[in-house]
Amino acid sequence: MEPALAASGGMDAESEAGIERTQAWRAEVSVRRYGTGNPEPGWASRPELLAYSDFMPGSPRHAYVHVPFCRHRCGYCDFTLVAGRDDLIDRYFEAVARELERVRQPLETDTLYLGGGTPSHLGPDGLRRLFGLLSTKLGRAADAEVTVEANPLDVTAEFVAAATECGVTRVSLGGQSLDAATLRALDRDHVPAHVRAAVARLLDAGLVVNLDLMTAAPGQALAAVEADLAAAVALGVQHVSVYCLTWEQGTAFETARRRGDLRPVDETLEGAMFELAIDRLEAAGYEHYEVSNFGRPGYRCRHNEAYWDCRPWEAFGPGAARFDGRTRITNHRSATTWITKMLAGEDATGDIDEMTAEQAARERLVVGLRRRAGIDRAVFLAASGYEFNQLVGSTVAGWAAAGLATDDGVTVRLTRAGLLVSDSLWADVLTT
Amino acid sequence: MPIDCRHIRNFSIIAHIDHGKSTLADRLLEHTGTVEKRQLKEQMLDDMELERQRGITIKARAVRMEYRHEGELYELNLIDTPGHVDFHYEVSRSLACCEGAVLLVDAFQGVEAQTMANAYAAINTDLTIVPVINKIDLTYARVDEVLVEMEQSLGIEPDDVIKASAKAGIGIDTLLAAIVERIPPPQGDPNATLRAMVFDSHYDSYRGAITYIRILDGTVRKGQKIRFLRTGVSHEVIELGQFVPQRRGCEELVAGQVGYLVCNIKDVKQVHIGDTVTIPGDQGAAALPGYKPPQRMVYCGLYPSEGENFEELRDALEKLAINDPSFEYAPESSEALGFGFRCGFLGLLHMEIIQQRLEKESDLDLVQTAPNVTYQILTTAGETLEITNPQDVPESGEIEEFRQPIVRTNFIVPAEYIGPVMQLCTDRRATYLKTEYLSPTRAVLSFDLPLAEVIYDLHDKLKSVTKGYGTMDYEMLGYFPADLVRLDILVGGKKVDALSIICDRRDADRRGRAIVKKLRGEIDRHMFEVALQAAIGTRIIARETISALRKNVTAKCYGGDISRKKKLWAKQKEGKKRMKSIGSVDIPQKAFMAVLDTGTDRQ
Repeated sequence: MEPALAASGGMDAESEAGIERTQAWRAEVSVRRYGTGNPEPGWASRPELLAYSDFMPGSPRHAYVHVPFCRHRCGYCDFTLVAGRDDLIDRYFEAVARELERVRQPLETDTLYLGGGTPSHLGPDGLRRLFGLLSTKLGRAADAEVTVEANPLDVTAEFVAAATECGVTRVSLGGQSLDAATLRALDRDHVPAHVRAAVARLLDAGLVVNLDLMTAAPGQALAAVEADLAAAVALGVQHVSVYCLTWEQGTAFETARRRGDLRPVDETLEGAMFELAIDRLEAAGYEHYEVSNFGRPGYRCRHNEAYWDCRPWEAFGPGAARFDGRTRITNHRSATTWITKMLAGEDATGDIDEMTAEQAARERLVVGLRRRAGIDRAVFLAASGYEFNQLVGSTVAGWAAAGLATDDGVTVRLTRAGLLVSDSLWADVLTT
Repeated sequence: MPIDCRHIRNFSIIAHIDHGKSTLADRLLEHTGTVEKRQLKEQMLDDMELERQRGITIKARAVRMEYRHEGELYELNLIDTPGHVDFHYEVSRSLACCEGAVLLVDAFQGVEAQTMANAYAAINTDLTIVPVINKIDLTYARVDEVLVEMEQSLGIEPDDVIKASAKAGIGIDTLLAAIVERIPPPQGDPNATLRAMVFDSHYDSYRGAITYIRILDGTVRKGQKIRFLRTGVSHEVIELGQFVPQRRGCEELVAGQVGYLVCNIKDVKQVHIGDTVTIPGDQGAAALPGYKPPQRMVYCGLYPSEGENFEELRDALEKLAINDPSFEYAPESSEALGFGFRCGFLGLLHMEIIQQRLEKESDLDLVQTAPNVTYQILTTAGETLEITNPQDVPESGEIEEFRQPIVRTNFIVPAEYIGPVMQLCTDRRATYLKTEYLSPTRAVLSFDLPLAEVIYDLHDKLKSVTKGYGTMDYEMLGYFPADLVRLDILVGGKKVDALSIICDRRDADRRGRAIVKKLRGEIDRHMFEVALQAAIGTRIIARETISALRKNVTAKCYGGDISRKKKLWAKQKEGKKRMKSIGSVDIPQKAFMAVLDTGTDRQ
């Protein structure tokens, strides 16, 4: 920062020139601070990361776009979204266009992921418009994976046609359950038939389909989870994500729980549901490759794997987080605030998680151990610059002794028991 | 020219909490022109922030006012008293400096437990009572009924009662006139040998101890040598004067007057409330009767939650003790909590006040153990032990007699709550004494109760069974034998010394069950099963189990999720760091208070 400029900015701040200069100075500081104004130095100024060039190309090869619109807010959801505010969609597009200006040279992406909210809520035309905007800055490699999240109700023939036309290769369907009672308990606006129809339509169009299933819904029994898993397998989807319901602060569910109107299922039953999912899906030929994710061989979500490899990625939209290998910058989580700030040319950053090399290494450990493949010591050293044993050797030895992890000297994996209680392990790994 | 005793009036205002004592004091200061209205902070006499917050007066203060009555100028000394039972001794010393007391009763609340306790203390000290009904302008004032209550309970002639509203300034002049007319002037010979009583002190960082005195006989002058009889130490009077309400120096104080001395005393602990001040040498006056050293009735352990803060805690306690000689602390160590201090207080309120000051003034994170009263044990060897920590209870074979403090307790309750209060006390092993009616609708119930039961939860329970209308007050009767045991708590098979309590043998099962149940709610699940047990000696009397953690795993961990999750995990880690580890079990700090809070177990 130029102190002289800051000082004079204060003196003639009333004048137009002063305001302009102050704004320019702020933008400059913002760029320096967040390192995102210019992708070149921003992403590549860290030689310690660049040393592993196969992991770390000069610019990110993965991008996420957050679409915050929903028809209605489900009671358990605490994602960044607005329900019933379709009037904001035009301004949202404008804001995304603004944010894309951050990218000076178009990126070539291996994976592109549209999440939400409900990206499918934009409809066929909205989807075309968004992909049109993105194409100016986000190019795609030949075999790029392009995922769009969809609500079963939105998956019309027209929508599928638009998706295919836009180069979408994969659709993640928020089915949650194939049981009417569970769907009602989860406050969803679709019924099982919608899920079946949507899956059929997507598979027919040659798209890869992920189906989200939820467990531990209020009142859900183990048998209902069993039925959902069987139904998902029968539908022939290539990928299944199984999420245990999380009672997030500030959601309608959590408020109802506090009042005693809703009761979470017992922790032991939650565990049984989780284990049942692993057993049934593995038996059906799906690989359990991360806590909540199951894919048929060759159908893992490459985009999510980039997150867990701690590769850098770009991200756009409210609440979206981007990462350069060290620093994670999350946009403002309120959709309306983000739009307003973007359009006003103001800083729309919500949170900055800046790590030291060691902190980044420790984070890599956590996301790595959530994967069933675990962590290979050599790969870890190459990617993080840290010797695994030096960092957490004795801690992990303790886990192994307690039956929570296995270690053959090369690879460390959590056992199923360890995975089940893994959140209780991370405090021993992460430093503050 | 020294003031004539006939133109001095020394008095206190006594009242139940919230009956308007501070407001009345402010009004008197204002009407006598001692303090101008615009200077008057609300509740002038309660100058400590904490006191203002809690609406109670902790430390006595003495203010000199001037008042002209029928052409004569009078010196009125208002000696403020702490109204709470914890400070009973301080109250008695303050009252001993007065010839009269203004008894203030709320026109709606009527006579309450502290009204009676304080009024009796004043009557026993032979003070002239000037009764006042305050807040007569309230819509719900029930002046006539309160007059009956005052007559029934304290024998006060209704015609003598002044009707006032301190807030609205009604009846203040009548009251000032009554103070002059009804309260007798102090006796005492200004030419006799100096004899003065210490009734309070405070610490001033520039001047050291400021000693509050009432001159009973003789005269004290600036530069004079004086002697404190307790310590036998002589000092030179560097400064003396009166509070108006700030300190104002003068050349001399004579018999009958109230004021302060500054004697270059660095440590307030050398100034004993109730002590006698006289001249050095063997010509001095005899000691005044009634001196008692401060009696600590309640003890608890205070530990820094991070062991390395031990020194800081000691400094903070030392600072507090400088201003409060009745607070006591001594280092102790606990297997569970490490190095800390055993702290003694006059009572529960005193304990709360000290803790709040500690938190406010020192920024230390503390672990507190549940408070206990002081016990006495007569050993088989014929020795009497003072027990302030349950850990110090000897083997049962060595105990000849185990004694606990018993207090005589008066409850004033609306008649419809007599039943519930009886039940409350019976459950607490009280001995019923009597019921007296103040009026057809309000009664005084008297019991003898173990002090331990009183500090346990009695006040809260009284408020809840009487919908807030019941009040209580108690006085110490003494130590009496009882069938007491030490109850130990084991976590994961290891005894946690800081959780031990002393209780009646007949209550041990119930208390033990309640404590382990409560602990079960306080201690998080671990990767393994955790057993919680209550034991007397080697006999286990209650058990609860915290089952092992079954599932704790974040479902979603994508793009931005990890930053949020890390914050949560970091918070958990911080929380864990502040916990105390017993074996491999982490116990949160507030669990150490769990032994107190078993209110749900018993109605």
